[in-house]
Amino acid sequence: MNRILTIAQQPLTRLFLVALIVLSFQTTIFNTMRPFGVCLQVMLLLSTSSGLARGSEIGAIAGFIVGMMYDLVLSTPLGLGAVVFALVGYLAGMTNSFVHQPTWWTKMLLAGAASGLGMLFMPLALTIVGREGVMNRHILVVALVVGVTNAAATVPAERLCGWVLSEPSEVR
Amino acid sequence: MDLRNSSSVSSARRLFGAIFHPIEGVTRVVTTPINNIWHGITDYGDVSQDNKRLKDLIARQEGATIANIAGVREAQELLALNGLPTLAGIDSCTGQVVGQSPSNFSQTVEINRGRRCGIRVGMPVLNAAGLIGKVTESLDDRAVVMLITDPAYSLSVKIVNQPPPKVTVPNKVPESPENQTTTTTSTTTTTTIAPKSMIPGFTPGVTIATLPNASPNAPSSESTIAGDIRPGQGNVSQITVPPGANLPLRETGALEGRGLSRAPIVRFIENQPRFGVVYIGSPIVSSGGATSLAPPDIVVGTVSRIISRTGTLGPLLEVKVAANLESLNFVRVLLYQPTTERPSAP
Repeated sequence: MNRILTIAQQPLTRLFLVALIVLSFQTTIFNTMRPFGVCLQVMLLLSTSSGLARGSEIGAIAGFIVGMMYDLVLSTPLGLGAVVFALVGYLAGMTNSFVHQPTWWTKMLLAGAASGLGMLFMPLALTIVGREGVMNRHILVVALVVGVTNAAATVPAERLCGWVLSEPSEVR
Repeated sequence: MDLRNSSSVSSARRLFGAIFHPIEGVTRVVTTPINNIWHGITDYGDVSQDNKRLKDLIARQEGATIANIAGVREAQELLALNGLPTLAGIDSCTGQVVGQSPSNFSQTVEINRGRRCGIRVGMPVLNAAGLIGKVTESLDDRAVVMLITDPAYSLSVKIVNQPPPKVTVPNKVPESPENQTTTTTSTTTTTTIAPKSMIPGFTPGVTIATLPNASPNAPSSESTIAGDIRPGQGNVSQITVPPGANLPLRETGALEGRGLSRAPIVRFIENQPRFGVVYIGSPIVSSGGATSLAPPDIVVGTVSRIISRTGTLGPLLEVKVAANLESLNFVRVLLYQPTTERPSAP
């Protein structure tokens, strides 16, 4: 029993459970609410917020897990989203470490920029693995809308990721 | 990682789906009111306009449907008599679209029917208007359908080239009443004149081969006799027109999706004189065949734009898809698995 509790208290277990719930929102409500015809990417927000909350390395690991879960419900090649999300999580964490005394608005800017970049990396990665027709002007609109909306939701998401990825002793 | 369709990746997806789908179902129920509010705010105007437009459309189509049903039945009987495959002989499974792809870079939808209904990877999916795509993933109670606008989608199709439209001239030429059809337009009255040949005894478009020694009273085993031609009644020798000479010509090509914001195109149309000029509005249907992804004669759409190319390259045709892919609801999966999609024996 203690062993199960110990596993359940691990940050990655919490991340998996929280990501599962966020993924369910991604595939339902955020899938149908499409401002400017763009599907909002809360899974990408989870990756960037992880990087902002816990640094580049943990951001990359969290991004990989979140991206892999997202890949499992998409029809894109498995692992492609994981690589892109890991890169985005790493970028968000790394750039945040360069900011002297980060504030809420610097984090919003960084999350928005990282999310926008992620939406540009994704079609690039799809093109590299042989998918045609995804590199068009529409990706700029996608990057802009996802960047702005993710920036707006960064503060609560970063707090959530800060709790999710904290060590068990910190939670108690 | 899974470009080779490995079974372990499919198992992982299936296992994750088994865990995730109950959670997704609960979330869907919980978020439905929010979703409805969003659509109420953003889509109300469009829905009202659509409602009016659809009411008009239904009124117009009710009459045409009855005539079409009779025509389709006759066509199916003819195909069955000749041992040709028809859609009527293929079982289907009806499902409802429960979600789109949450990605901005692929065009797929998810339906609430899966392997339990007999759905397998590769089966074509239709709605009332025509072809919408093919199944790319099949779970127990769910299936993912790749839409025909997806860049990864390709299908062999036929373009039915309509014969050139008949020339309409102003009502100046005196004609016998039986050859005239009067059409009223908003500006003027025109008369469509059936083309009449200068050759005695020959009417273009007649699908009959006349027999020189046929008795005038003998019942003809050939098809309809049009105009004033009667075997044996002409005082000059008649010209035989082979049956089917005026039927619409067909040419095959490959339909390819180009993403959500661009219309699919048809390539590899041969630039041959017999096929003639492709007209905007010409219907496009699936061609069928042993290696095709869909059975023959499923409506795909119409030609919306023709892009001419130089040399022997045939034209590129942009396709206006018959089905409205942005508002899919009920769809029908034909339980027809193409040979190319069948799993190979170990």
